[in-house]
Amino acid sequence: MATIKTVATPAIAPPLSETSVLGWMRKNLFSSAFNTLLTFFTVYIIYISVKGLWVWGIADAVWVAENRRECFAINTDGACWAGIIAWLDNIFYGRYPREELWRINLGLFFLLMWMVPLWLPRVKAKISIGMTTVFLYPFLGGYLFAGSEKGIFMQIMLTTAIVCLLANTIHSIIGVFSGRSLPEFLSSLSGRKKVSDTTQRNIFLGLLALSFVVIYVWQMSWNLERVPWTKWGGLFLTLVIAGIGIASALPGGIILALGRRSRMPVIRVLSTAFIELFRSVPIITVLFMATTMFPLFMPQGFVLNKLVQVIIAVCLFNAAYMAETVRGGLQTIPKGQFEGAHTIGLGYWQTMGLIVMPQALKHMIPNIVGNFISLLKDTTLVSIIGLFDVLGMLRSISKDLPWLGLHKEPLVFGAILFFLICFTMSKYSRHLEAKLSTDHHN
Amino acid sequence: MAVSDNSKESAHIRPKEQFDFFHDERVRSVFYQLLTIATVGLAAWYLISNTAQNLEARGMQTGFGFLNVAAGFDSYFKLIPNEAGVGTYGRIFIIGILNTLYVSFLAIIFSTILGFFIGVLRLSQNWLVSRVALAYVEIFRNTPFLIQVIFWYIGVFSLLPKVRDSIDLSGGAELLLLNNRGLYMPWPIPGDLFWLTGAALIIAIIAVVILKRWAQNRQDKTGKIFPTFIPSAAFLIFLPGTVYILTGMPLGWDMPQLEGFNFVGGATLPPSFVTLLVALSIYHASYTAEMVRAGILSVNKGQYDAAHSIGLRGGRVMSLVIIPQAMPAIVPPMISNWMSTIKNSSLAIAIGYPDLVSLFMQTSLNQAGYAIELVGMTMAFYMFVSLLISWLLNIYNKRVQLVER
Repeated sequence: MATIKTVATPAIAPPLSETSVLGWMRKNLFSSAFNTLLTFFTVYIIYISVKGLWVWGIADAVWVAENRRECFAINTDGACWAGIIAWLDNIFYGRYPREELWRINLGLFFLLMWMVPLWLPRVKAKISIGMTTVFLYPFLGGYLFAGSEKGIFMQIMLTTAIVCLLANTIHSIIGVFSGRSLPEFLSSLSGRKKVSDTTQRNIFLGLLALSFVVIYVWQMSWNLERVPWTKWGGLFLTLVIAGIGIASALPGGIILALGRRSRMPVIRVLSTAFIELFRSVPIITVLFMATTMFPLFMPQGFVLNKLVQVIIAVCLFNAAYMAETVRGGLQTIPKGQFEGAHTIGLGYWQTMGLIVMPQALKHMIPNIVGNFISLLKDTTLVSIIGLFDVLGMLRSISKDLPWLGLHKEPLVFGAILFFLICFTMSKYSRHLEAKLSTDHHN
Repeated sequence: MAVSDNSKESAHIRPKEQFDFFHDERVRSVFYQLLTIATVGLAAWYLISNTAQNLEARGMQTGFGFLNVAAGFDSYFKLIPNEAGVGTYGRIFIIGILNTLYVSFLAIIFSTILGFFIGVLRLSQNWLVSRVALAYVEIFRNTPFLIQVIFWYIGVFSLLPKVRDSIDLSGGAELLLLNNRGLYMPWPIPGDLFWLTGAALIIAIIAVVILKRWAQNRQDKTGKIFPTFIPSAAFLIFLPGTVYILTGMPLGWDMPQLEGFNFVGGATLPPSFVTLLVALSIYHASYTAEMVRAGILSVNKGQYDAAHSIGLRGGRVMSLVIIPQAMPAIVPPMISNWMSTIKNSSLAIAIGYPDLVSLFMQTSLNQAGYAIELVGMTMAFYMFVSLLISWLLNIYNKRVQLVER
């Protein structure tokens, strides 16, 4: 007679060798004589290098000193971090006027405020938030960073940006607490249960218009001193170049990638030529081309400043790389998706915008982040053609009289800075990839 | 029957296609393409006319005639002889190309070997070893290459001792000497009959190839494995070795000798070259390591089990089953990594190694002008190399696809 158990037999606890620390060590570190030897050898190497770094960078390092000579007087073997600390403002902000630093900080704070909602799960309408960041933030940031008199266009865009930022922020706060969008919330304030979409929209737009007028009048009294681009520098300049680069590379890359896959031969050939041209040459040659040839391209009397030249070069270069990333993403979309979209009567742009791109972008995220990381790293090359980005600033520490010859520490500091930024981003993109993945894991 | 009836019917019912000029796909396609050509053409014409005006206004000359003009400077590191004031700009161009290719070629070899090694360490069963390899990869991939190059140059190779206190890398034999003037090593001087040794080596290689073919054939027919490794090694060592000794060892070595304040004789690699080589190798090895790891992991685990179940052992599982299947996943990214090694060698400009960009786009451009020609030629060289490499990659991909059924 067969006995059927209705209750599952509880699992037997795994053997101690699988769970205990000792068991883990035996399995992963000392499984054989060779492995044991390898482990000891590696431990020795780690010990040597960590000890060397610890003694140089922390134990024997000098943190407070007036100049390099004083560092030497205190300890000759350790790092002289005092120089870095003295130059910290320069490394981050370049030669930006010290009393105006709040503008950079405020600008970065606004950018964070604008972008943080993109990471909050309960906030709705993330696409609009993202789009407004790309299209409106540049006006707000540009005004804060560069200052000077503003024309009527700039005034309108600036006001729009601020209104948008306000609306975004309130919308996100409401979203986090109640999970609703701002228009929904506004109409619920009026007390009525059911409000039609049009009324919702009208209330919302009315409030926007009102705040637009208020802020427009208010901003007319603002007067920010002009800070020329030659004073921009440090990590701030690096982020400006890389930020503009990545923001323009994505639309540029999408257009180029679609062009490369287009059925029209002229468009295909032109896109392919552009992509291959910029992908096959080193970025330093593109930067040199920008500084030597762009002045020749411009009509007489029209002078592009070096920063704009560099930014154009970075945008062109990065659009080509992004195009290949996008193309890779498009290739992951099965043909059935295109056919399905055609079947329900969608045209080319609708197919791409509503069906293909949303799916492809998800696949592209790790590569887009990878692109951004390499763009950020490549931005250091602008120091070769004479801009004072973060590396340019770090290298000028050794030419500063009190810190003459302080070469190693700034470079190590720069490496750590970039490592922290890039490593965090790449880890985050891997996390995002895992989170967004809808594939069936086998 | 019913099927054919249906199709006939539908062919009848199908309405006659009306030609709608504004909504026809072909018309639109032609229109868009004409529009693109017009836009791009106008933009190009605008830029070119501006350039022409600017060149005229500034009195700048154009044309490639300057390539035959003697350059007033010389490169301190070169593979072909040159002299300042005598060598032309054309010669400088070739020197730059050779310098770029030389350092990139060596860097590609070293980074590939190192990368494979690190990649295998990444997959090690030993937790600690794989973590250390991971740390290597993350550290070098997440810091800018330019900072690494400058760090190696200023932080390591500039701090080397003076000539008198050179570091001996060969452990007291005074063969490889490293100091702040560069790396010094012996250079072979072949004697009269040395070509015989070379010929013997070629014969030995041909013999080994024939032996391998024969062994493979025999294994295919009879299933018996002929161990080729020891006979091949014996061939390769003994045949040239015997000829070399019989002809009276016709190979001299030019040794670096300390004379006065510097070494004389032997071959010298300047510090900037060694720096760039080390930096490129280490940086690109971190990328290669990840490719190797990803490639080996891409092979299905069942392949290991199957290989073990038919009685193959560790080394043979890797060499006969896993590696051949991993190669199609490893090679394409690795070749583009080689391409970026060549491109990244242009950062030589930061440490003064005279590569193409530094010699041609910087020094020549400052001396001679001719911005458009110089920039164009430099970019054309990189594009040519890139096209060559992607052509090779396509050949490889086609071969791999043919093998895979």
